[in-house]
Amino acid sequence: MERGSSAYRRDVLRAAVAVGGAAGLSACLDLGGGSSVPTGPEDLSTLPGRQHAWNDRVRHDEHGNTMLPEHQTLLYLDLDGAPDADARGTVEAALRTLDRAYARDHEGLLHSMAYSPAYFGRHYEASLPADLGLPEPRPLSPFEEPEFDTQDAMLHLASDNPDVLLAAEAALTGERSTLNGVDVGAALTDVFAVADRRTGFVGAGLPASKQEGLEGVPTDGPVPEASPLFMGFKAGFAANQATEEYVTLDSGPFAGGTTKHVANIRQRLADWYGEQSFDERVMEMFSPAHAEQGLVEGVGENLGADSGIDEFVDDIEAHAREFGRVGHAQKAARANRDADGNVRLLRRHFESADDNVASLHFPSLQRDVSEFEAVREAMNGSDVPAMTPAVRQRVNNGILEYIFVKHRGNWLVPPRSLRALPTPTGEAPGL
Amino acid sequence: MKRRDYLAGVGAVGAAGLAGCTGLIETRSVVTAPPVLEDRPDAVYFPTHVEGMSMAGMGKSEGGEYAFGLMYSYPHRFWNVNGRSVSRTDVEDGDDVHLMATVWDPETGTVLPEAGVSVEISRDGDLVSQEVIYPMLSQPMGFHYGANFGLDGDGEYTVTVSVGGVSTRRTGAFEGRFADPASADLAFDYARSARDEIAYENTPDRAGSAAAVDPMEMEMMPDSVAPAEGDLPGDVLGTTTTGDAVFVVGRLPSPPAGVDAGEDASYLYASARTPYNRMVIPAMAVEATLARDGEAVFEGGLVRTLDPEIGYHYGAAVPGVESGDELALRVPTPPQVARHEGYETAFLEMPPAEVTL
Repeated sequence: MERGSSAYRRDVLRAAVAVGGAAGLSACLDLGGGSSVPTGPEDLSTLPGRQHAWNDRVRHDEHGNTMLPEHQTLLYLDLDGAPDADARGTVEAALRTLDRAYARDHEGLLHSMAYSPAYFGRHYEASLPADLGLPEPRPLSPFEEPEFDTQDAMLHLASDNPDVLLAAEAALTGERSTLNGVDVGAALTDVFAVADRRTGFVGAGLPASKQEGLEGVPTDGPVPEASPLFMGFKAGFAANQATEEYVTLDSGPFAGGTTKHVANIRQRLADWYGEQSFDERVMEMFSPAHAEQGLVEGVGENLGADSGIDEFVDDIEAHAREFGRVGHAQKAARANRDADGNVRLLRRHFESADDNVASLHFPSLQRDVSEFEAVREAMNGSDVPAMTPAVRQRVNNGILEYIFVKHRGNWLVPPRSLRALPTPTGEAPGL
Repeated sequence: MKRRDYLAGVGAVGAAGLAGCTGLIETRSVVTAPPVLEDRPDAVYFPTHVEGMSMAGMGKSEGGEYAFGLMYSYPHRFWNVNGRSVSRTDVEDGDDVHLMATVWDPETGTVLPEAGVSVEISRDGDLVSQEVIYPMLSQPMGFHYGANFGLDGDGEYTVTVSVGGVSTRRTGAFEGRFADPASADLAFDYARSARDEIAYENTPDRAGSAAAVDPMEMEMMPDSVAPAEGDLPGDVLGTTTTGDAVFVVGRLPSPPAGVDAGEDASYLYASARTPYNRMVIPAMAVEATLARDGEAVFEGGLVRTLDPEIGYHYGAAVPGVESGDELALRVPTPPQVARHEGYETAFLEMPPAEVTL
């Protein structure tokens, strides 16, 4: 690949977020990657009260499915001191810098700050509201031993422009005094230490461009160019996603906020692509009926805004017996609808090549983390091997054979008014 | 060779089945197995070649609920079974070893079939591979979990063997055990030259005959041999075969703890094992009809169950089992375990079998 070619430039930009820091940013800027992005509003009251209000600020495909920003970073943060008024002011100033520096959209910057149950437990005597569904993270399958993310806070940054992401991060970590022409009010690292930094990407073309030499993806480059994800299919169809309204806490001190589960899941796709035909992958990702009826073409663009999975959730036992396989979406959907048929989870997952290993960052928003836990339990399909020995704990049981959960964390995404070091009772004294 | 060679860390061991054989044992720098026989019986047969294996490591999970053993040999072909279909997995470019993990209960030495086992291989902190490995049957080793893996040359690897909580019904002293996942890190010092010293023998004279390679003798690691008839608890009432699998049928006066049943129920069990080697055959669906004087007194599935005394078996609470009862066994789904050569044509076509108890 020639230096200066558009393919070269694209690859460097993609790599830059993973590299991060000044080196990543300068790689972006050297290539003319300095995006011209509008600044944010002067009057911050025009911004939404919900930090997780992203859906009307991102692109949508022709079917109305949301297309998440292509580049994303998760900053895991530990407080250096006490969450007092000064620290609170610093956090708020750092986040207001982001608000002012970039338009709140996919070309600018989307962000949300979240806090762990461990944060509330470590720093306050008062308890979180009893009815807030924010447990400590725990293993959610009988075959996983993840590390638990119990850092104090997590900042999720997302943009289609890698240089925006990197510049924002540089401002947050005290490496810049201005950001997109806006004075940096404070660095987040004045009160937090960055405990972990995880990056990723999503969108057609990105996984295919990242697959070469990546641990977990076969060397023959099987990920289709059109796929937004490594496994070769679209996901998060609009009809199979909760609305932002639905996942928003509607009462209590954190009304307007939501809960967020974030898993990091290693992917091992040698057998997914090497041992299975396309139809078998469709069976395991969606349902055997999807393959039998030819419902999925290519990456599933033809599914439009609905994977059609609801039609097959009651067929799991019959499919297990007839096909010796059950589908991932089919199993999970069993628990992902409320009594009125509404979808309970809003999934916002994206891929990662951190440490040169293919993995998936899996943030899910819901009113109560127990809803996520129920869907994960349904996805485990632990009831299926009893129906037939052809379906085992992790083999022929959806996609469980190919995914290994490495991290789990639970977070509260408070409303924007409480995003700076909130107390368990929903206050931000001193601000 | 004897088992103590493993303990002495000699590295390469022969399959015990070779003892007394006159075949040539060669050092292999390139392993090219003979082609699969063209005319294989629908039964257990002696394979075209016999490979030894070497111990890579052993360990226990934190807390000691599970013990793990890891063996390796040359990468080799095996056959996956999904439902009724059998597909051959050939050695691929880059495969260096066939890894075989065994998981057992350190208290009783019972090998745990039907657990979900995965292996993560790393070297100096870098990921080399990670896979869910498949349950497999081999003649010298019996039931284990295995796959071919590529490595990054000679060196010291860490192999993390993980087991999922067992979902098979557990009874007796096993009730409530093996419910949680666990893992152990095993150090694996790999050298190509040591691998190539593992015994390997082509066996053209015996290949295809109705026989099996003898089980390995292992002192440190239990094997998955099913209890001899005389060692099964309760009353052994009869034996039948289908698809070359042997079913020993027995009765307990009452079901073991962990089986839901009425007060007057007896317990009917079928212990399935390979011919010749008596290795446990797990993971099939078994249905039974128990008839007395021409009338069914029980009809239903026999549940896959792990019991410390019966071993892994298929069992159900029944209203009573009497001498003279007719038992019909059906196998709607054959054993869902991958097969090393010599087992891939057996235990597949399994027509109904009957036995008078």
